[in-house]
Amino acid sequence: MIEELKKTFDTFNKKICLWDEQKSLRAENFKKFAEKGFPTKKLEDWKFSNFNQIILNNFKNLNIDLDEPTEYRSMEWIDQENQFSKTNRKKIKFNDYLKDFEHNKVVFTNGFFNHSSFEQEKNNAGCLWHQDLESAFNERKMTLIDKERNSLSLLNNAFFTDGLYLRVTKGFQLNKPLVIYNVFDSAKGTNFFNQKLIIDIEEDAKIDIFIYTINIGKSPVFLNTYNNFNIRRNGLLKLFNFNDLKKKDLNYNCNDTKIDVNGVLENFIFSNSSEYFKNEINCSLEMYGSAFVNGAILNTDNQNHEIKTKIEHLDENTKSYQKIKAVIGKNSKAIFQGKIFVDKKAQKTNGYQLSKAILLDKESEFDSKPELEIYADDVKCSHGSTSGSLDEDSIFYLMSRGLNYYQAKNLLIKAFLSDAIESITNKDVKKFFIEILDNKLDGIK
Amino acid sequence: MLQINNLSVKVENKIILNGLNLDIKPGEVHAIMGPNGSGKSTLANVLSGKKGYDISGKIGFDGKNLFDLPIEERAHKGLFLAFQYPVEIPGVNTTNFLKTSLNTIRNSKGLKPLDALEFLDIVKKKAAKLKMDEKILQRQLNVGFSGGEKKKNEILQMSLYEPKMIILDETDSGLDIDALKIVADGVNALRDKKRSFLIITHYQRLLDYIKPDFVHVLMKGKIAKSGCMELAEELEKAGYEKI
Repeated sequence: MIEELKKTFDTFNKKICLWDEQKSLRAENFKKFAEKGFPTKKLEDWKFSNFNQIILNNFKNLNIDLDEPTEYRSMEWIDQENQFSKTNRKKIKFNDYLKDFEHNKVVFTNGFFNHSSFEQEKNNAGCLWHQDLESAFNERKMTLIDKERNSLSLLNNAFFTDGLYLRVTKGFQLNKPLVIYNVFDSAKGTNFFNQKLIIDIEEDAKIDIFIYTINIGKSPVFLNTYNNFNIRRNGLLKLFNFNDLKKKDLNYNCNDTKIDVNGVLENFIFSNSSEYFKNEINCSLEMYGSAFVNGAILNTDNQNHEIKTKIEHLDENTKSYQKIKAVIGKNSKAIFQGKIFVDKKAQKTNGYQLSKAILLDKESEFDSKPELEIYADDVKCSHGSTSGSLDEDSIFYLMSRGLNYYQAKNLLIKAFLSDAIESITNKDVKKFFIEILDNKLDGIK
Repeated sequence: MLQINNLSVKVENKIILNGLNLDIKPGEVHAIMGPNGSGKSTLANVLSGKKGYDISGKIGFDGKNLFDLPIEERAHKGLFLAFQYPVEIPGVNTTNFLKTSLNTIRNSKGLKPLDALEFLDIVKKKAAKLKMDEKILQRQLNVGFSGGEKKKNEILQMSLYEPKMIILDETDSGLDIDALKIVADGVNALRDKKRSFLIITHYQRLLDYIKPDFVHVLMKGKIAKSGCMELAEELEKAGYEKI
């Protein structure tokens, strides 16, 4: 598969890239990827699922749309209602927006920019963005090569198409969340997409970002996404992930977040659709910075979902709080690997980590690997992990009050997962996820 | 209302109930007393449909074979058990639970579900009668409730569902005198010609407030003696050993 991918990459790199420097960077990333190959169980970070095997089982070839024209490219910031219509490229029509809460939107289809709207804002001058990452990279001389990095992010660096480079400028705050729609349609046989977000939240700025990933096509896709977030002093990012993918889709998502002095990250992941979904959340915290990472995993049909976190406390008085709740059934597997690293400088660290799972049957599996690496001596760190089955006495109690078995079971599952959803501080988004959970549970018998 | 014929129950080959007979007619209040381990709670659990028992015998409930009815249908058809130890269910909001269960029962009777406002109106009135703090209804089901609050919550459910056949399993245990009176008032308010009660208790105390029509003594898995209120008084003085 990697040989085939090499050919694809060579053609892709000629077409997508306008600058030689970028071309060679991409080539270098691809070369590093090809040396490493897809991750296998031999790697500690991948010990619970053999990704190489999964991708070989699911895909014969990884195909990229090589027909996307590039002539519209130009380096310009978009700071007004979508002014950007230079392209005559055939776009997928997408207007199936979330109706549950008011929001601003940027829509990408098959990895390329489609349209945007900041209709909820009177003034969005503080939000500067560009969807042509290639140009952004060129202008800012940014490089994203990391030899130690796992091979999938190298692959993303080699193959990324459009994405969002967003700057929320100093002190700026959007009224409503920004929903980033990543829409995929496997028409034309393309099945491999590499998305990238680079988001800078400057001093005192605040934004709520909701990443909504949807496959509207019929055949399976492999999505490889790699995002960088930079939260400056006193900045606040609330980040929500919601995938609405198809049964056989695979998604690897990696978020690297740097949190500066007194900055805050609130991250919530709802991990439910697609056969394979791994979310890798890496955060580094400077003085008084905090990171909240919460996740609800609902795997009820031959699925394998993983949340892997690494929180690095680099300076004094930092705080991290992680809560992962998983409900697993029908031959599914959920994994939580959570690492808390405390630098020797990072006194007065508060690090807390909890993962809890309910196994609905004997065929399901929950793997939990908490890791604490602490070099400072005045810290409070704790971790806990439990797994068990639904409480039969509770089911009996609920049934004796008229609920049938499925109603009782689903009420208990909802109660269990809601605990993670309750951590969301955006009321509209919290309500959205509670309703999503209700809908998903209605579908389970 | 409830005819228990030759009911025998085993758990892991240990005989708990051994040929128990009991006939409760509409409007009657029966009390079952008995020493620890005599099978009182097992009887309550078997009636409400708890699994894990090896059962023989027959139970007729309102003209039907009780064993043909799954747990939830027993509730739909008007059988209610007030639990000795109500289960704590974290994450389930008490009000939402009460509304869901009441509407499920209403739905089974072909009644239209109550909307949030109609429901709140009713539940607040009923909770006030039981002197329950309204705030408790916003908490997670039975989580962190005191013993008395848990029992009152059972009685609140009873008054909401208005069942036909009510089984109170040691509802008096864990209640102080004031709470006992309030709970008894709640029960007495529901007494009518059609509704039947089976009150399971260790002590005569509750029966001072809810006067039963019949008192039975359960020993070694069967009814050892039946009588009226005087039997309960006798037991209180002399204990179970004399039976």
